[in-house]
Amino acid sequence: MKGKYTMIISIGFATLILTAVMLTQFKTVEQTDITAIETMRETELRTELTDWKNKYEEIEEKLDETEGKIAEYQSEISNSQENSTILDKELDETDMYLGYTKLQGEGIEVTLTDSEFKTIDRWDLLQLVNELKLAGAEAISINNERVVSTTEIANVGSQFILINGNRIPSPFVVRAIGDKKYLESAITIKGGYIDEMKVNEKIVNYVVKDSIEIPAYSGKINFEYAEVNK
Amino acid sequence: MIYISIIIGCILGAIIGMHTPVISYTYSSYLAIAIIAALDTVFGGITSVLKKNFDLKIFLSGFFGNAILSIALTYLGERLNVDIYLAAVVVFVGRMFTNLAIIRRYYVDKWTNKFEQMTFKVKETNSEDKK
Repeated sequence: MKGKYTMIISIGFATLILTAVMLTQFKTVEQTDITAIETMRETELRTELTDWKNKYEEIEEKLDETEGKIAEYQSEISNSQENSTILDKELDETDMYLGYTKLQGEGIEVTLTDSEFKTIDRWDLLQLVNELKLAGAEAISINNERVVSTTEIANVGSQFILINGNRIPSPFVVRAIGDKKYLESAITIKGGYIDEMKVNEKIVNYVVKDSIEIPAYSGKINFEYAEVNK
Repeated sequence: MIYISIIIGCILGAIIGMHTPVISYTYSSYLAIAIIAALDTVFGGITSVLKKNFDLKIFLSGFFGNAILSIALTYLGERLNVDIYLAAVVVFVGRMFTNLAIIRRYYVDKWTNKFEQMTFKVKETNSEDKK
């Protein structure tokens, strides 16, 4: 009878331990994330490690490639920057030719003033501008109106002269940048512009200057009817 | 009485197992081997009961001894970089199948005998009626 009890108790105990351990194991297997590093076995970790190493090498190759590409792009960018500086220079030059920039340099300043008897008319201004151009003037302005290729010099009434669409009264200050000696001699030559004006009893003064500022043309040059003929 | 003790053991074990903390995955492989060893011993015990040579000492020593030995072997295999636990699994599961085969044969034989006896009795009664 005693032996039977010990048998019952010991078999129950064995069953208890077995079920407890089995359930623990079930729970462990169910809840363990196999991808987590802490739970992996050494061999698994080794294969994983080699995988990662391969991946690392691949990615490094890719990195090298990408870096090469970046270097290429950068060289291209520097090239294009050079191009753009050249373009900027060209643009500046073109602006200068067209009269869209302020200019400064040596030159001459001629002032025409109405006298009591005679008024300055457009022919006087046109002739002066022409003479200055002939003498190699690089930029000309009349009362701070830049003379460009489309500038008109026309009479409006008896007191004003129309320049760049603006009415300008006397006195007319004509400024020109260029070789100051040429410019001076061009208008002061014997029988030249100044002599002619004096004969006509018109008041002309001129000053040769080392530094003359000429403003930019503020209007726009539009081409409505003209097209580029290739 | 034995069945009651087994059922109580199962229930208590289940309750304990529910409340144990999750163990590390590294040690769970040892535990799995121990469980298989213990299950093998259980089937061996059932076989010995059927063969009427069940010994409690042998059963208990096998139950715990096999589990501990298998854990030790698995640990050794881990150290030697040899998967000894595979051998343990093969041996224990193979023995489980052998024991299961013995149990199956025992019950099949028992039921066939019973059935044959029944049919024999029926035949006897039939022949007696004819006489």
